[in-house]
Amino acid sequence: MWRSVWQVDTSTTAGIIAMVLIVLGAFLLMLGLIPLLQALPPRGRRVLIALITFFAGAFFAAEFFLPLTKDNENWLTPGVQPAQNVLQIIGSLALGLGTYGLIRLHLRNVVQRRAQWGYSVVLLISFLTMAFFSIWNTLAAKNLLPKNSVLVRGFEILFDYTLVQLDAAMFSIIAFYIYSAAYRAFRVRSIEAGILMFTAMIIMIGIMPLGAAISSWMGLPSEVPKDAHPFSLESILYALSLPEIANWILIKLNAPVQRAIEFGVGIGGLAMAIRLWLSLERGIT
Amino acid sequence: MPYQHAQDNWFAAIIIAIIALAVLINIARAKAGAQLYIRRIAGLDAIDEAIGRSTEMGRPVTMIPGLTAFGVAAVQALTIFKYITKQIAKFATPMRLLTADATVYAVAQEAIQDAYNEAGRPDLYDPDSVRFLSDRQFAFASGVAGLIQRERVAANFMFGEFYAESLIFAETGNIVGAIQIAGTVSFTQVPFFVAACDYTIIGDEFYATSAYLSREPVLLGSMVGQDIAKFLFACTVGVGAIAATVLGTDHPFIKLLGQPGGWEPFVEFVSKTLFGGK
Amino acid sequence: MQTRQPAVWDRMLAIDRRILYLLLFVNIVVFLLLPVQLKAVISPPARKFYNAIEKLQTGDLVMVSSNWSASTIAENKPQLEAVLHHLMRKKVRFTIMSVEAQARDLSYRIAQRIAKEYGYEYGKDWAHLGFYVNLIVAIKGMTTDLPATVKQDVEGTPVSQLEVLKGVRTLADYKMVIDVTPSGTMPLWVSYRPKGLIVLFCPTSVMAAEAYTFLDSGQVEGMLTGAKGAQEYEQLLKIKGQGAIFANCIQFSHVLIILTILLGNIAMFLSRHAREG
Repeated sequence: MWRSVWQVDTSTTAGIIAMVLIVLGAFLLMLGLIPLLQALPPRGRRVLIALITFFAGAFFAAEFFLPLTKDNENWLTPGVQPAQNVLQIIGSLALGLGTYGLIRLHLRNVVQRRAQWGYSVVLLISFLTMAFFSIWNTLAAKNLLPKNSVLVRGFEILFDYTLVQLDAAMFSIIAFYIYSAAYRAFRVRSIEAGILMFTAMIIMIGIMPLGAAISSWMGLPSEVPKDAHPFSLESILYALSLPEIANWILIKLNAPVQRAIEFGVGIGGLAMAIRLWLSLERGIT
Repeated sequence: MPYQHAQDNWFAAIIIAIIALAVLINIARAKAGAQLYIRRIAGLDAIDEAIGRSTEMGRPVTMIPGLTAFGVAAVQALTIFKYITKQIAKFATPMRLLTADATVYAVAQEAIQDAYNEAGRPDLYDPDSVRFLSDRQFAFASGVAGLIQRERVAANFMFGEFYAESLIFAETGNIVGAIQIAGTVSFTQVPFFVAACDYTIIGDEFYATSAYLSREPVLLGSMVGQDIAKFLFACTVGVGAIAATVLGTDHPFIKLLGQPGGWEPFVEFVSKTLFGGK
Repeated sequence: MQTRQPAVWDRMLAIDRRILYLLLFVNIVVFLLLPVQLKAVISPPARKFYNAIEKLQTGDLVMVSSNWSASTIAENKPQLEAVLHHLMRKKVRFTIMSVEAQARDLSYRIAQRIAKEYGYEYGKDWAHLGFYVNLIVAIKGMTTDLPATVKQDVEGTPVSQLEVLKGVRTLADYKMVIDVTPSGTMPLWVSYRPKGLIVLFCPTSVMAAEAYTFLDSGQVEGMLTGAKGAQEYEQLLKIKGQGAIFANCIQFSHVLIILTILLGNIAMFLSRHAREG
């Protein structure tokens, strides 16, 4: 019946019965918990939430720190997958909630003829059409509904010819936006701005074949023998070529700065996680 | 062997414990009344200015937590937005909070409602001001861009994790003349925000924002603990660089600092050095 | 008092952004169509990427994690195509997985097309393991028990019937994972992979900046940076692909951007000079 403490073996009848009883029991527990939570004073509710948060976080922390037995597992490891499945299920439920909120908002816009309600009509029609063909397609793949030319053509038009192309178009807009943003932002108003602009130009040209071509036209070598002395004229000239300068900026300047920022972000994230785990974070809780 | 437990690299586990300890000790110090200093962050000082500008122009404020899935960055973003909403509530400025994650949407609704309650203006809360647009990156981007353009927002706050869509938000906000403040932990999007926004909060300044805005002792203490941990990291890097130069990169001490499997060789080296033996 | 007529440099500073967009559009179209092409200089990360795959032996097993959608098709598609060409040339077995719904179909169709050229048989030499909602859960699951995590391929065939996965228990049985992605999935592979699994990275140009720290420390063995990286790889493999065409177009767009920025700065200085004068 039990594969482990965390998993019921549903290939046996006893396992199936156990699974049904667990699900029903959990459902009844939730039903009983809601009035209990409502009856609790706010302070009591906060304590209960803090306790649940602490034990939920403690599970993962303990699983990480506990010594491992054979098979590189400890007794908590089999519970990690089910715990992550729970997170995914909560996320899926939240998706339903989000979709409900979206539909409710736009339906109300249409019914009450609010400003720009025409866009809401477009959204609702698109939503229903996409959902219809997508659900039909999924069920047809499992042979639960017939697959015919209307489905194939409709799915093709909506997804291959519309969604995919709109996705690509929105990403392409970024190219135009970066052009106008760069034109506006790269003005030499100070020394730092000048360094920023100069560095950006070196990298933009240096990483492309054009940078190598320009360096070649200037008489700079495009490669250097492996056994060349680092301070020989050939090595120095090679180091002054645009691709080499661009590479140097990316590896010797960009990477250490990025590491420093990521150390800070990582430590900040860890500190925030500790505060949330111990319910010390009063922000949205 | 997967690298997923403390036993795979005890050195890393000890480092995590030291960081956690530094944070907790300083939280305790702050709670005990220690006066802790935090430097000025220009972008955060400009939040009130941006809200004031929106109020004068009678145009809404938008708040975007990006594509952040519900986690530490999302909680921090919502904490910042809750502060902004409390300021907005004083002036009854319209606002829109646009999310791409359904869990963030659910939590954001509660957070924003709480903000209006705490500001003493529960009547101003409009459930439709917090919206879930889409969990698809560019569908979300086009929804946000469209809303910014149609409603001619006057202030745009972007805090969280962003990817390619960051520039679409920032440039659209620029087109309508909004004042924009962005903060992200996504290193690759920082240049786009710097180019298109008025103020950008970079890296761990994002996690310092809640401490900066609220000045709560717990949060200030946590920040000091983070800074101490960063200092220890910097010292480790310095010691490691000198040691690698002097001892060579094959030395067990360098392997301890730099490799996941470095703990056992280091322990062996220490016991041989201290206690002799084979 | 007479107001000064805006001079040419004032007009340049206040140029309508739609004119800039039109210039860029024309530039891209022209250089997409023109047969001008410059030879790429192979960057060290691309060279390392190539060498890592060259070291593979016939029959080795590789995981290709393809997580891009139509939005980044210009950068990730040439990368994936070049990578698959190289893997099949080396007669290496591979499986493909995706954490993006569109990526599943796109990568499947591309792999099917290229497999025909090399006579690769589906199920025996390669397979597509389908779409996974959560990458961390997928990697952890595959690291512990791959057949239990994967269960079936994209066509619904149970894993036990796939010859390409015969004898494969966990992700540790793979030699390498190649992550073709526009998003931040590479750090997850680096964090959660089994020890000894080599990681190669094919990001878009924007995401490449975050990989240099991993390249430097050796956690990622090699990288192809966007369309330019695809061009370099096509050059190394001596194949004709779209990477060269797109990279060529991109570099001349860079030239346009730089020229415009320089003109904008000159206009700023002249305008300032005129005001002070």
